[in-house]
Amino acid sequence: MANTEHGVSIEINEEEIDQICEEFGNREGAVVQILQTIQEKYGYVPAEVLERVGEDLGIPHSKMFGVLTFYSQFYQEPRGKFILKVCVGTACHVRGAGLLVDKIKENLHIEAGENTEDMLFTLEPVACLGSCALAPMAMVNGNTYGKLSADKMVELINQFQEEGSGSDEEPVPAS
Amino acid sequence: MVKVTINGKEVEVESGTTILHAAEKAGFPIPTFCYNPRMDPAGSCRICAVELEDSKRTVMGCITAVSDGMKVLTESAKVHDARKTNLELLLLHHPMDCPVCDCGGECPLQNMSFSYGASDSRFESHRNDEPEDMKSDVLVFNSNRCILCGKCVRICDEIQDVHAIGFINRGFDTIIGPPLGKKLDCEFCGDCLEVCPTGAITDRFVRYQFRPWQMEKTETTCTACGSGCRMLVDTESEAIVRISSKEGLGPNEGSICVVGRFGFNYVQNKERLDKVYFKKAQRLVPGKWPEIMPKIADRLKGIVAGGSGRVAGLLSSRVPLEDAFLFQRFIRQTLRSNFIDSGARRGLMNMALPLAQATGTLRPLVDHKDIEAANVIVVLGGDPAAESNITGLAIKKAVRKNKADLYLVHGHDVSISTRSKEVIRALPGAEADFVRILRKALASGGTLDIAAKDGLVRMGASPEGVERLISDLKAAKRVVFVTGRRFHDSETGLEASEELVRLLVDQGWISSEGCGLFPLTELGNDMGVLMMGGTSEWLPGLLDVSNAENRKVWETHWGTSLEVSGGGIREILSGIESGKIKALITLGENPFEYIPDAGHLRETLSKLELLVVIDHRQSEIADIAHFLLPSATAFERGGHVVSAEGFVQPIVPSMAYWGESLPEAEIILQLSRQMGSSLPFEDFSAITAEIFRIFPDLSPSTRNASHFQGGTGEIVLALTKAQPPHKAHRESVVARVGEWMKSSPSASTDPAAILPIPEEGFVLQLSKSINHSGTFTIHDASLMTIEGEGLLRVPRQWARKRKLKKGSCVRVRSAHGDVSLPIDPVAGLSDREVHFPVHFADERIQALFGKGFSWNSRSGVPSSQSITVTLEPVL
Repeated sequence: MANTEHGVSIEINEEEIDQICEEFGNREGAVVQILQTIQEKYGYVPAEVLERVGEDLGIPHSKMFGVLTFYSQFYQEPRGKFILKVCVGTACHVRGAGLLVDKIKENLHIEAGENTEDMLFTLEPVACLGSCALAPMAMVNGNTYGKLSADKMVELINQFQEEGSGSDEEPVPAS
Repeated sequence: MVKVTINGKEVEVESGTTILHAAEKAGFPIPTFCYNPRMDPAGSCRICAVELEDSKRTVMGCITAVSDGMKVLTESAKVHDARKTNLELLLLHHPMDCPVCDCGGECPLQNMSFSYGASDSRFESHRNDEPEDMKSDVLVFNSNRCILCGKCVRICDEIQDVHAIGFINRGFDTIIGPPLGKKLDCEFCGDCLEVCPTGAITDRFVRYQFRPWQMEKTETTCTACGSGCRMLVDTESEAIVRISSKEGLGPNEGSICVVGRFGFNYVQNKERLDKVYFKKAQRLVPGKWPEIMPKIADRLKGIVAGGSGRVAGLLSSRVPLEDAFLFQRFIRQTLRSNFIDSGARRGLMNMALPLAQATGTLRPLVDHKDIEAANVIVVLGGDPAAESNITGLAIKKAVRKNKADLYLVHGHDVSISTRSKEVIRALPGAEADFVRILRKALASGGTLDIAAKDGLVRMGASPEGVERLISDLKAAKRVVFVTGRRFHDSETGLEASEELVRLLVDQGWISSEGCGLFPLTELGNDMGVLMMGGTSEWLPGLLDVSNAENRKVWETHWGTSLEVSGGGIREILSGIESGKIKALITLGENPFEYIPDAGHLRETLSKLELLVVIDHRQSEIADIAHFLLPSATAFERGGHVVSAEGFVQPIVPSMAYWGESLPEAEIILQLSRQMGSSLPFEDFSAITAEIFRIFPDLSPSTRNASHFQGGTGEIVLALTKAQPPHKAHRESVVARVGEWMKSSPSASTDPAAILPIPEEGFVLQLSKSINHSGTFTIHDASLMTIEGEGLLRVPRQWARKRKLKKGSCVRVRSAHGDVSLPIDPVAGLSDREVHFPVHFADERIQALFGKGFSWNSRSGVPSSQSITVTLEPVL
């Protein structure tokens, strides 16, 4: 089964979905964990997968969709390879987080919440990430980058761009 | 029992009762939005707040159980304040667009705001201004007006068990709708529309076309199927605007199916017959009643003068008791013939014959409440949700609420398959053998011998599944068998029904309370028409016509002698063929719908000297009539019908007769007067009075309205008048059934009746769709919007392999012809079967079945059709 709805083609293996559900004993109560596992795998929760998980767990599709949309952690659409989570909390804000966001928008031609056309980046301004000492800071795929500036941000993006087209290795986080 | 004091008044209630119910008992109704007596309480709207006098706390009445000595205030200043504040919170986002909202005028939110003076909110917030979800052709979702009480989601989950809609998003952004932002795809019962306490869900068919206070409401009974739903017909200037319901109303307790709720437009369709027509130079031309009736009467008189048994009558099983009673008397007494039959033969006769003989009644031993309370439910050859929707709800409730074990024994999956513990596939034609194997195994301690296993495998059923069924049956206290259309119409339907009754007797399920047999009736008055003598074998009261003593009863009463020889549709057709029957009167019945080979049927009917068709619409038989008389529908006339549960309920007119149409009984009365006959009925009400006088147990009855409070806060009063029982009298049944067991030994059937599974190709069968009823609904604009064409249901796996989608065309070829049809790939069909909705089975489809046609040799029931076909994608 191929998902081509968003311009990307992801092969979804139904047996694999069944296997994930099985790992959690097909328990109705494990639905959030199952969706998390699936999101880790695909980067988002494709519609067809949602239906399949519902069938496996015996949860109606309408309820599955309710769970999916209830939690902001779940995404219904594919996301970029690098998720640029730029902190716009109070501390980062006063130290110029807005400039970082503007720079990204300008450079990558995307708005908040959007993906770049090459599906490499997703811009996601977030509230406080709890590292105010490093303000302004950003988090990319789980790694923290502190004391940023607009220029450093551009550098970082360039670095990711190289990575993205090349190997899967991520740049060393700035300390 | 605990004692509670509500507003100073002491009442005693069962422990565990909610404050809401206790207050109701004390005479202090509490307002509600999200409460519904049929569903689990949610406590989400907070409007039922009440004060506990001792602790001064406010609690929610619908979810708080009373405790002994509790003192509750339902109308204190604190309660008032709490409710007002809660209302303000509910009105936070709610747009004040009542002037353009369809719900305005019958809106509980509006009424409550009016009562509590909360016309606006103190809290500052933005009004939601989301566009309405107009994707569905049936319902419009307006999230701005929604107060998130969740009633729609709960009724879809808990009552309908369809789960079509749910909560989406979180917090302020929460909306209600179908998943993934898709178009609503469900059974379209409209229950969500009914329970919505605001205008968040509205009816797209009549959007902006009415104001509630300008409509008149008429409570009547739906005649589409045997569920006997009570419903409200909302009319404006004698035109039907919509059909609604009321919580707790009737046997359906407020739920109505798609056909009942949306299928009424055919009665005000411009194409409906509004004039009398007669044949002149091979064409039907309009005439006038006063000129036409004497002509028909004269020709009938001429034919009857030639001898008895020269006229035949066919009668729809949707007509009320009165019309059936009058029609059969007209045929038997005035026209001196016992060639009479009704559509009930197809739907019920195979089951009705053994039931009447063995139990003396057609009334069921169990009703929906017994189904809900059953431990094991076995559905044999039927699709309850499609054939008798409310019975389907009872079955779903039994599974969901009471954890009943549901077994479906059927050729293919139907909507209740997903709720069943096991689907045992048994091919059409194998019903009798299946029941015989089951009976034998149960009688011999529950083991299947080798021959039984072989038999099961041959009919496509899994022996392991049957073994599980047997062990569940042995452990169960309350067992209910539900039989459907496929079971009744099968070639061996009569033998299967007989064997099933024997099985129930064997196992003592005839005598144990809560156990029994529930035949689904597909048309509104199947049972009533049989009780009134609407077929050749029975005089009114299910009296066997071949018994002289029985005949004497009615001969004395009517002062006439009665014909014995006669017959049903099989004998009528051969009588016409041989020239013995010269005239045929049809009353809403059209044999073209179930007799294949229209050409041959047309040729047979052309031999008639006189064909009088009484119907409300054009049809194949109407086209060849000598006289075509327009009849009024159930929305324009009165009468009584008997539901599958045995309730005798009135139908009440809500609009004037369409054009020059008249009720069937009125037409027959006029005709008999013209013929100088002595049918002693002044008018319609005299027939009703006569029926209730002769059959006191047929007096009107309905499900006791024990639900005291409706979804709109209206009080639904419990019925106070004693009602005659609707179920069969168990003691009388038990007293009688032993005699029948002795006199009716198990007859063997030919296992060859089972249509073999073709090695290549498919078995094509006609089946009922949930969205249609008979063929009248294909003249209904609303139902045609929901399902507008006959799609051939093919196995999903087969379509996927060929990359065929819904709507792709395939050529269907049988030995008798071929036709190109659009497909609908569905899950749950075996690799070798395809289905086509019977409602759309026109001559092209019927032609596939050829001339071959089978009748049950003993009951004369035409069997449902199936034939081997091949499919070939059309590119």
